[in-house]
Amino acid sequence: MGKFSFNEEAVKNLKITDTSVLERLIDFEHARKWHLSKDRSRKDKRMSLKEAVAEYVHDNDIMTDGGFCYVRTSIQSYFEVIRQQKKNLQFCSSPNTNHTYMINAGCARYSHNSYLGAEMRGIDRNYTRQLKAGKVTILSEWSHGTMAQGFKAAQLGLPGVFSKQLLGSDMIKYNPYVKVMQNPMRSDPDPVAYIPAIYPDVSIIHVHASDKKGNARFFGPAINDIAMAGATRKLIITAEEIVPESDIRNNNKGVSIPAMYVDAVVELPYGAVPGQMPGCYYWARQWWEMAFRFGMKSDENFKKFLEYWVFGVKDQYEFIEKLGGSKWIAESRRLTKAEEYDNEDAGVDFNYDEFQGDWPEDITTMKFY
Amino acid sequence: MGNRSDKPMNPLELLAYVLAKEIKDHEVVYIGTGLPMVAGILARKTHAPNIVLVYESGAQDPMEGGMPWSVGGPATWRKSPLILEMSYSFGQIYNGYVDKAFLGFAQIDMYGNVNTHMIGKDFLKPDHRLTGSGGNNDLSSLSEVMILVGLQSPQKFVPRVDFITSPGFVDGGDSRQKAGLLGKGPVTVVTQAAVFDFEPETKRMRVKSLHPGVSFDLCQLACGFELVKPAGDIPVTEVPSKEILEIIRNDVDPRGVFTSIPGM
Repeated sequence: MGKFSFNEEAVKNLKITDTSVLERLIDFEHARKWHLSKDRSRKDKRMSLKEAVAEYVHDNDIMTDGGFCYVRTSIQSYFEVIRQQKKNLQFCSSPNTNHTYMINAGCARYSHNSYLGAEMRGIDRNYTRQLKAGKVTILSEWSHGTMAQGFKAAQLGLPGVFSKQLLGSDMIKYNPYVKVMQNPMRSDPDPVAYIPAIYPDVSIIHVHASDKKGNARFFGPAINDIAMAGATRKLIITAEEIVPESDIRNNNKGVSIPAMYVDAVVELPYGAVPGQMPGCYYWARQWWEMAFRFGMKSDENFKKFLEYWVFGVKDQYEFIEKLGGSKWIAESRRLTKAEEYDNEDAGVDFNYDEFQGDWPEDITTMKFY
Repeated sequence: MGNRSDKPMNPLELLAYVLAKEIKDHEVVYIGTGLPMVAGILARKTHAPNIVLVYESGAQDPMEGGMPWSVGGPATWRKSPLILEMSYSFGQIYNGYVDKAFLGFAQIDMYGNVNTHMIGKDFLKPDHRLTGSGGNNDLSSLSEVMILVGLQSPQKFVPRVDFITSPGFVDGGDSRQKAGLLGKGPVTVVTQAAVFDFEPETKRMRVKSLHPGVSFDLCQLACGFELVKPAGDIPVTEVPSKEILEIIRNDVDPRGVFTSIPGM
């Protein structure tokens, strides 16, 4: 106690009785010490997803959601976290779309929110229910931009940044980490919001390619992943493919994450399924509709949904079998390439039958592309 | 949604058109998820082919094409010259590179404050927890011109929002400036019933034009606070031509995700 001076009004409004739960996210000294003690050897960091999650995701960790909702997000890794029944995680992300899958199973206990839900797929009704049931506790409310600034400040090596966001909003009253101050370089009244650098414990970032040491390359929107990689204490890279170091060195244009940040490298083809991976596969639209229109409806539905899609499979390959196997992969690749203008899309049809609510009588006949 | 070509214009199509008209060619426009996307794509396919669309994921300036299903999806960055990060994309607004931002809302009040957080009185035990801010607060805090879009009802148009996610004119008057926020604030609000602006002194929401068939009284009935009535005759909102409707239905939102109403 005593090291940090939180926004007291927010602590009170959020009814946080013990503020020690808030500390690690902004504990720069702790993160720096952690980074200093990381193994520097240029070693082969490859391991299986099971091993990486077992070794680097611990109960009570502050974990992030990477990518954007369902774009290049490490969803298969999150499902492994659920299968391993990690407990009391804090989730800190922008957006927090995939947080919800971790709450019911008891994996995620706390949330630092910026955006819940999946855009037009719908409102995260599960989160509302779990919030009311006391299964998840809000620790802070952010906008996308200010959480991004917190990650970026950490990556850039700054105690924090002054922002013009959040001012005049009620989020100021529900974010213990943010304080409104006078801009010290102005003589006229100029309120600014101080946003501290934020340091998660563990991030799992899905990329297109990595060498075995963790020099990682991806393309498409970076969202917060580059900043998060520099901030997080522990970093697991999952990659569509592992490539030789010479390939990374000779084709370094897209390299975004240096090996020094990385603790574990997992070869994980289809690691972002059922989300989209730029250039590789399209999102499984009906899956998301099933999640939001069926799964989110009740605890019972959610359980059934998780049992089929998470506990009922051991890895991403079994998951893809349920989506439709190799035909799903081919269709899905075709769709994403068409939308990216990387194939002749004249013959590609984006029409499909939306999933509408009830669990199908025979789910094995359902199409997910 | 099948063939919509023989159906009359519905209010969501009008809404998309009105919104699109707010965009001038060659502008840089920041687009939130949902109806703002329809407007951005429609503008680009009609009167404003040279606009640059910017999205919060870091995606920007995609090649023209169909509607994105996510502000991070391929349609927001297909063949982009450059794709950035989230913090940089908001930096572009702060630094004055974005002309207009388009935002949705779940609740709005008479001063244009927006709520996308929760419905209810107790933040920790809300009736409904909604998405939270996403980029909504960032756009409302930073953009030079903010245009708000959503459906109008007394439940959504309330005297005071349950939670200020994104400040408009805060408490009216000069309170937006005093809070330290940038830009002109919400300049236009577009709903299925009318277009609104804000009275210059009090910053209270005022009717600017009424959609065809909507009277001021009807518009007021669909609003939970007292609207400012402008002096003189209230103009009728211009409706899209048949050609524009065809573009909305065939090219912009062929699946009718945003612009079709069941039964209409």
